[in-house]
Amino acid sequence: MGFFMILFTLIGGITLSAQSSINGTLSRKAGTIETTFLTFLSGTMFLTIFIFFFGNGDVLALLEAPKWQLSAAFLGTMYLLLTVMAVPRIGVIATNIAGIAGQLVIGVVIDHFGWFNSLVIELDSKRVFALLFMVISLYFIYKGNKRSNEEAKAL
Amino acid sequence: MRFISYILALLAGAALSFEGAIYAELGKSIGQIETSFYNFFMGSIIMGLLWLFFGKGKLSYAVEAPKWSLLGGLLGVVYLTSIVISVPFVGVGITMVAVIIGQLVMSMIIEHFGWLGSKKTKVNKEKIFAVISMIIALILIN
Repeated sequence: MGFFMILFTLIGGITLSAQSSINGTLSRKAGTIETTFLTFLSGTMFLTIFIFFFGNGDVLALLEAPKWQLSAAFLGTMYLLLTVMAVPRIGVIATNIAGIAGQLVIGVVIDHFGWFNSLVIELDSKRVFALLFMVISLYFIYKGNKRSNEEAKAL
Repeated sequence: MRFISYILALLAGAALSFEGAIYAELGKSIGQIETSFYNFFMGSIIMGLLWLFFGKGKLSYAVEAPKWSLLGGLLGVVYLTSIVISVPFVGVGITMVAVIIGQLVMSMIIEHFGWLGSKKTKVNKEKIFAVISMIIALILIN
């Protein structure tokens, strides 16, 4: 089950990177706010159809859900705003890499303490090594992108 | 000032992990597709307001744009729903590592071939090392 879930989540990451390329193309002509708005709007339309045909849950239960759970919707907007603020000062690559670092660190911290009623997974030495390899990987991505950019400029 | 920008970017990433953990909890009570729906519905309202007050672009371009460039919303739905489903099974840490790997590897491929209107950027040896390190990390964390 765990392996299947990881594969499934990898696909989630793949669709996300395709999304950012597509949205990048659209936003050059439509604008950033407009593109994000269209993304959310069309996503809502697709999900409305999915709920009618495949939904097993209860949308109306949203009205009774604890407000702290509903506040997660603002976190996505916060991500967008913070990214938009950081990009002009430190660049896209550095912003993404710092963002990923924040995501990974908070991810394992939430697991370690079991915040928000999540699975408790202790931060053991294996996980620390895994994080270390992610940091090495981010370093190489930074280097690799810097080199591609320099080569592009030299042409 | 640069230092503060790095902190902002770190916080942005942290927001995504918090979002994943909280939505996983909401998904358990109201359903996963329903949770995604809530996110996109609220996001539409928030972005709709931002657009009304601060929009400087051209929303109507959506009508003339190539149809494939309008698929971002559907792809975002796949991403968010996969997170809401996966977090309760494997935790936030593994979910985020897997998402990030899928994202980084795919964007290298997209850029290598210049797909989806992106600027063509060749894969180099640094990027190959990066992918190898990521896979080691995923094996270790699992």
